[in-house]
Amino acid sequence: MTQDTYKELKDRATSYWEARSNGDTPLIRIGTAMCGHAAGAFRVADRVKTVLSERSIEANLDEVGCLGLCYAEPLLDIKKPGRPRIFFNNVSSSDVEQIIEDYLINDLLPESQVLGYMGEGEVTDSTDSMENIPGIALQNRIALRNAGHTAPGDILQYIATGGYSGLYKAVTSMESSEVIDEVKNSGLRGRGGAAFPTGVKWSFLVGAPGPTKYILCNCEEGDPGAYNDKGILESDPHTLLEGLAIAGYATGASNGIVFIRHGHDGPIDRTEKAISEAYENGLLGENIFGSDFSFDIEVALTGESYVAGEETALMEAVEGKRSMPRFRPPFPAAFGVWGKPSNINNVKSLSYAPEIISKGAEWFSSIGVNQSTGTAIVCLTGDVNKPGLYEVPMGMTLGQVVDDLGGGVSGGRKLKLLQTGGPLGGVLGPDSRDIHIDFDEMRSAGAIFGSGGIIVGSEDVCAVDLTRVLVAFCQYESCGKCFPCRLGMEHLLEIVERISNYESKAGDMDLMRSVGGTMEAGSLCGHGQLGFGPIRSAITHFESDFKSHIEEGICPTGSCDNRKIVPKNTRPYATDFAPGD
Amino acid sequence: MAEKVNLTIDGVEIQAEPGSVIIQAAMDNDLYIPYLCYYPGMKPYGACRMCVVKAEAPTPDGSYRSLPGSPASCTTPISEGMRVETNTDELVSLRKGILDLLISEHPHGCLNCHRIDLCGPTDVCLRHVTVNDRCVTCPKNERCELKDTVRYMEMELTTPLTYNNRHMPLEVKDPYFDMDMNLCIVCARCVRACDEVRGDSAITLKDRSGRSIIGTSQGTSLLESGCEFCGACIDVCPTGALVERDYKWDKAEKKVTSTCPHCPVGCQLTLDVSKRNKIIRAIPERTAEANRGMACYKGKFGLDFVNSRKKIDKPMIRNNGVLEETSWPNALDFISEKLSNYRNGEFALIGSPRGTNEDHYVGQKFAREFMNSANLDVSSNTHPEITKALEEMIGTRNSTSRIWQLLDTECVLVVSSNITESQNVVSVPIKQAAANGTKIIVIDQRETELTRYADIWLRPKVDSEVDLIGGIMRAIIDESLEDNDVCQSLENFTEFRNSLWDYDLTDIEMTTGISQDAIREAARMFANADNASTIYSLETVSPDLRQDCTESVVNLSLMTGNIGNGPSGIYPMFKGANEQGARDVGACVEYFPNHADADDSAIGVTNLAESLVSGKIRALQVVGDSPTFDDPQLGDFYKGFEKAELLIVHDTFESKLTDIADVVLPSSTFAEKAGTYTNLEGRVHCINPAIGPTNESDEEWRIFSQIAKRMGADGFEFTSSSDVFAEIQQSVSLYSDLDLDQVNKSGQLLKRISHESQFRVISRTDVSTDATNSEYPITFAPGRVLHQPDRDAGIDTVSDKNSITRSEIVEMNKSDATGYGIAEGDSIRLVGQGFSLSGIAHLNGIHKGMAASTSLFGSLVEDLVSSDDNDPMLKSDNLKLRNVRIEKINN
Repeated sequence: MTQDTYKELKDRATSYWEARSNGDTPLIRIGTAMCGHAAGAFRVADRVKTVLSERSIEANLDEVGCLGLCYAEPLLDIKKPGRPRIFFNNVSSSDVEQIIEDYLINDLLPESQVLGYMGEGEVTDSTDSMENIPGIALQNRIALRNAGHTAPGDILQYIATGGYSGLYKAVTSMESSEVIDEVKNSGLRGRGGAAFPTGVKWSFLVGAPGPTKYILCNCEEGDPGAYNDKGILESDPHTLLEGLAIAGYATGASNGIVFIRHGHDGPIDRTEKAISEAYENGLLGENIFGSDFSFDIEVALTGESYVAGEETALMEAVEGKRSMPRFRPPFPAAFGVWGKPSNINNVKSLSYAPEIISKGAEWFSSIGVNQSTGTAIVCLTGDVNKPGLYEVPMGMTLGQVVDDLGGGVSGGRKLKLLQTGGPLGGVLGPDSRDIHIDFDEMRSAGAIFGSGGIIVGSEDVCAVDLTRVLVAFCQYESCGKCFPCRLGMEHLLEIVERISNYESKAGDMDLMRSVGGTMEAGSLCGHGQLGFGPIRSAITHFESDFKSHIEEGICPTGSCDNRKIVPKNTRPYATDFAPGD
Repeated sequence: MAEKVNLTIDGVEIQAEPGSVIIQAAMDNDLYIPYLCYYPGMKPYGACRMCVVKAEAPTPDGSYRSLPGSPASCTTPISEGMRVETNTDELVSLRKGILDLLISEHPHGCLNCHRIDLCGPTDVCLRHVTVNDRCVTCPKNERCELKDTVRYMEMELTTPLTYNNRHMPLEVKDPYFDMDMNLCIVCARCVRACDEVRGDSAITLKDRSGRSIIGTSQGTSLLESGCEFCGACIDVCPTGALVERDYKWDKAEKKVTSTCPHCPVGCQLTLDVSKRNKIIRAIPERTAEANRGMACYKGKFGLDFVNSRKKIDKPMIRNNGVLEETSWPNALDFISEKLSNYRNGEFALIGSPRGTNEDHYVGQKFAREFMNSANLDVSSNTHPEITKALEEMIGTRNSTSRIWQLLDTECVLVVSSNITESQNVVSVPIKQAAANGTKIIVIDQRETELTRYADIWLRPKVDSEVDLIGGIMRAIIDESLEDNDVCQSLENFTEFRNSLWDYDLTDIEMTTGISQDAIREAARMFANADNASTIYSLETVSPDLRQDCTESVVNLSLMTGNIGNGPSGIYPMFKGANEQGARDVGACVEYFPNHADADDSAIGVTNLAESLVSGKIRALQVVGDSPTFDDPQLGDFYKGFEKAELLIVHDTFESKLTDIADVVLPSSTFAEKAGTYTNLEGRVHCINPAIGPTNESDEEWRIFSQIAKRMGADGFEFTSSSDVFAEIQQSVSLYSDLDLDQVNKSGQLLKRISHESQFRVISRTDVSTDATNSEYPITFAPGRVLHQPDRDAGIDTVSDKNSITRSEIVEMNKSDATGYGIAEGDSIRLVGQGFSLSGIAHLNGIHKGMAASTSLFGSLVEDLVSSDDNDPMLKSDNLKLRNVRIEKINN
């Protein structure tokens, strides 16, 4: 690929996309990311194909990603010539025939199922603009800019909408140090949880000896309630590939590896397809844009383990070993995958890179607040009316997220808690509405923004029960390497189970604190160091819930009386016994 | 040597090797930091978190920067000026917190009891602690690192944490060792030893989180998961989770360091001796240069023969066809009287490969100087050519380099050697080096463990090794890959090079059955390595070709500049534990003491049988039982023994040999005597008496001295083995510099004799196998490997012992098979002299006239365990090429 062939490719893509998205043939798009998939989008898509062929209607069909409004999935939109995109929400396969007949053939709008319109063109007066929906209006989509609009399996659509121009700009007109400076100046911080400045991290790899150096992209994403990494890969995998290649150019890395958790089939398939498309078009491989920059990307599947998302455990996993964290030093920048210098970034962090390079650091840093620039990609779930995948500017308050984006707590109940940052994160109380999404502010409030999951808990949620489920997750997912985490998690789970079962023993709260203290100070990796986090924040904010279990034997919400069984990974054949009894 | 690093640990200023971690620096300076998962010599793991410290390092501006958190000292590298605190209140409480957690799932019922040192395993517990939760019933009670650590930390043992015994079933069905996973603390030392040190990965961490536990990495039994039963996992286990099954609960009354009598590696072992005067276990010495903490199935589990009650108690003389017990003076009188008739060259003395240098020296002095006989040898000296030719060409008869220098070599050529079974520990550095990219070339008809590691495995036709190596040398000359400096410095290079023109590769391809490309590739691999080592024992090469083959091997090394320095070594692999010492002190047929070549007409093991039958030898004294006499390739020994007029046998156990002996003398085992062994590197080690006398057995040097004195000889006034050693030092110049104290402490290397190396010109021999054996027309090459990932072993786990149930696959040539009417997948039987094997035919590209089959090492171990032989390990090497015929089994 030379610069000229890239320009030709871009022209071809633009005219193709203009014809497809705004041409004479109607374009039907269906959201088939994980949220759509779960709601039946693939059945809807199949039905659409059947109906189109049965009725011999000429129309293009694109399976696109997630627009953010997961609650409205399956979300189907039809773009007819001269009309805006009309969105139909919560479409089931039985609705398809009616919609096609009414709108595509007869040009009537079944008002009840129309969510809104988007774009220019003639609409009926009663149809609302999508821009008036808070879930769209409050979003500022950078990493997810194409999600829901372009088909992830079609590189031309990505190129036509500005794709690979960031990489083109970086490779053809910038020094690699300028790229790093640009990322540093943008204030971009790692979105995997630790919020370490991405540009600084990249610079660690620059001085490491080559020629083989790895940029790794972490899409293990095992947090319950987090799906933004997978969302990006499903909706717009090329944006990650472009970001990865930019990171490769900036750091002098030769290889990129995208780690995806084994079993995330949608993201895996779409990423692999995108990689092969990029190779076919010369956007990866040898001498990209005719420069001497060469870069390869492959997908690696990690073991089915939460800890495989820890950067060194992830490197073990890609080497085909049991995914257990390594000790540091040596750090990955000196001794990473296969002993080569490596640098690990989250999917989201890398996916910002193309737009940062295209539009400049200043533009990016103007979004957000304080030391948290850019946007936050929030996975809003739980007791909320409108769960979704929302990309909002940093600095939005949690209240806005819950009430405006999420449409408030479901069932008209009161907000009790927000569980943020994954199971190792923390729990915030009902007074957290004024906290801003800001890495540092969240941390000082005792929670972390982490990977972006926000689980809303209504007044019906028992803090003990929630803690039990979170601790069970952390216990189940401990890798079993270091003693404090392997054994400590087991005891913490045992104690929380006792409490939720109204069988607590005297001193259990102190015992949890002391075990937690040992884990925090002694564990090898973040899993054990943060493993006590959920309990600590729960007993900070909801001590009364624990007290009523321990002292009165009552669960204030009743949820502990009908406990869900959680998977456990405790001692084989364990029975209680005390030697010397 | 790099400069040492200065640092302070708990206020003590110490110096440590650069690049080491804090805990290693502390250990090297005799400072203790508690630890459980770290093990010296293995890579840090950082799991137990017991060795946490507080550390600060100086910054360029002179201030100190604290390392974040409480880093583990096993993973934190030292730096100049570092200050380390190991015992702050915070650290102590953290360690106690971790130990509390650990104790909550480890049986510890006795730990807080004042009677812990008084109770025995069978005592009634006054506190009703369940048997499974007691320390006194743990096999490692007296040597448990966890217990020591708990005591060191002065734990109160009053944790409110719930105690849970795992209640997992004990794994006792596999050979040699018991696994009690209820005692495991999941430190993964065993897994790391197996993977990182031994390169086997037979065991692994299974499951995760609280269920993490050690298990086999393949299948359910160690027999199928690639275990070589070296016991390295047991040696590193800090608790009673992995223990030797035999004498499991016995305590060591004393510990004696000695040398393993099973092979010439000379592993240094610490022998635990119980109060019942038995060797209960052997633990390899971590600091010994020969084995570096390694042992093998033989050394670890093959020493129980010294404890046997079946040992011969007293001397015996045959009277009217029956052996009758007698006293030593009677027996010695009888022998002296009889032997005086044979002082004219009709006497032969065959020593034991387990004899000490002292035994061999006095024996040869007796035979040569007093009995006037040059007919003496060591029974394992069946391949004298492999050392003889080496010495003639480069002046040494042991390996030119050290065993562990193989770690640094870039290419290893293994010629017809099954070292993983015969000299196991030599394979450890090779497997480690292979993991780091060292290339391995194996020339062997048999599939052995190292062929699995081989980059190139050349499987030549039978007895075409000389041609093959010649072909490799020719390819090296063709591509000018030889080391020109070395070649030009040797006087006969031109003549040697010219001789290689006979080795035309097209022709070699025909005679060896190996493609020219493969030969060229091997040549490039060997010649292009900066340093390459060669290991050979020529087990599959016919006796008349061994001289040529050894010379070829050495030629190849010389021409590529691998002349025996450091990692460019040449390693002859003989079998006998102290065969090297026997050669050095002149107890082998080809040498006088001090390296002088002996008379060619002298009779050794290889021609003993025929000499006995022909009557050239009429009186014979044989020490030790030896598998050699059962090898039909060397002749029919027993026919000869029966013909001897006088047969004196020194032995530990009754055997086929003692059945026909005229006099039987009880011979001490290695565990009852003192002396020195010389290993294959030329390193002299001590063997020390571990167990006290169990019967009237005696050491050979004393027996020979007494016989000689009775017969009126002078010069046999030895009172101890060190007297003998002193005389050896006088008469064997190689040994003159040795210091017995140093030998006893750590072993001492013999000096190297300076010698002009030279090439040998080898004319190509006609290897046509015209003497086809009509009864047994097929040559069978039995192989054995640790693990065949592509084949299931079919473990029977129902009975008391795990066993392998699969049928073996027999590789055959297609045209041979057609001749027998055998098709792929047919059941067939191979029948040879005293041999039979059934299996399933697999027709592939193996050479015509050959068959091969590869069994699992697990099968051998099963056989060894179930063997009723007194010393099964001694006879475990049986991967010999055999002549067989093939029969098809109908249904």
